[in-house]
Amino acid sequence: MELFNEHSKLASVILKDHSLLPVINRLGIKLGFGDVTIRTICEEKGIDLNFFVETINVFHYEAYFPEKRLLDFSVSMVIDYLVKTHQYYVNYLIPENDRLIELFLSADPDESTENDLVRKFYSKFKEEFVIHIHFEERVMFPYILELNRVIENPASRAQFKQKYPDYSISGFEKEHSNMDDKMDDLKNIIIKYLPPNYDQNRGNTFLANLFMFEKDLKNHSRIEDHILIPKVKQLEMVLQSHE
Amino acid sequence: MNNSLNKSIVLISLSDVILTGLSEILKGSIAGEIIQLRRGDEIIDFPGLVGNFLVIATPEELEKSTSLIRQILPATGGVQFMAICFDLTSVPTMPSISINDSSALICYKVNEILNSLDTNQGKEPDTELTRREIEVLQLLTKGYSNKEIADHLFVSTHTVISHRKNISEKTGIKSASGLTMYAILKKIIDVTDINPDELI
Repeated sequence: MELFNEHSKLASVILKDHSLLPVINRLGIKLGFGDVTIRTICEEKGIDLNFFVETINVFHYEAYFPEKRLLDFSVSMVIDYLVKTHQYYVNYLIPENDRLIELFLSADPDESTENDLVRKFYSKFKEEFVIHIHFEERVMFPYILELNRVIENPASRAQFKQKYPDYSISGFEKEHSNMDDKMDDLKNIIIKYLPPNYDQNRGNTFLANLFMFEKDLKNHSRIEDHILIPKVKQLEMVLQSHE
Repeated sequence: MNNSLNKSIVLISLSDVILTGLSEILKGSIAGEIIQLRRGDEIIDFPGLVGNFLVIATPEELEKSTSLIRQILPATGGVQFMAICFDLTSVPTMPSISINDSSALICYKVNEILNSLDTNQGKEPDTELTRREIEVLQLLTKGYSNKEIADHLFVSTHTVISHRKNISEKTGIKSASGLTMYAILKKIIDVTDINPDELI
């Protein structure tokens, strides 16, 4: 295991770990970048070099999580990344999962009860997941961004206090582990317990997509729970100390 | 992932020549990962490490960072230490490789220590549910709370929680709706016993 650094060629990074493809997309890079290093492409595209390097390393290597350095990134940069991740889930991964699960479960003309149960489990999971994303985007992220603005510009403090009289992120901390658990359960059920009355290849494709989703989601939760939330708590404390 | 079988090497050296050289020598002969660090305290950036570890570093570095490494690396797995010796005249006091050792000898020495790390091999975890666990599972799928299950079975809530933990460990399923599905697929309950729209 060797961490990527600013001198790594982006093409070799992707050749080494293709699950980073959507990650570099959401950081603002499209393919066809030739032989450039990470430093060069970040300069070209105006991307924060450290944020780019740390994000791909955290994603690539599960055990790596340099919490202290990650806490230095700005709230707006982290939220921007998280929002782009949400967009990727909602606009691509979830519809793709929907399509693949139907392909795989409905391959058997004598629709089995078991397959139908899996379908129900999946739709419930998806429903909760989408609600969770919407909650973060409509309630939690705007709150955090406004809090951040108040810290930078104390003049708007009264207005903020009026809008969020008992501001605190603790009320927002939600069930990330719950989401991860359910996705894990779905994988285990299909791999270990569901009778294989379906087309194996289609089943495999669905599972492969699910594995990718799971990895992405774990990283997403990790950034929210260990970077964003602690940062917000810091900001709240700063605000409180001014009162 | 089967963490108990996972054995990784943590290689610490300020010298890129040593880091790259040792990694190249070892990578063909070990199954686990090789984590390269320039300083021992960089281990703090890897809070997610699991399994067993062999830490290889200079004696000075080991003296400096052994206690930190012990703190960070998971207590569940074993940790062993090995020194890289540059001074060919001194007699090493701990397992060590010398800078002049051949590749084959280095691989041999490293693997010998890796093999000594406890891997719990052969201890297949039990996956059959006990009768009591099946009872708990049945009540759980009917939507009972832990407290209700405890009252029903005349045991403490604490016991129910411990049964649920064992059920999840054995089946690999954690959520209540996932467990309901498991129970149906394993014919522990009948799908007509529950309202699938509510419980799944």
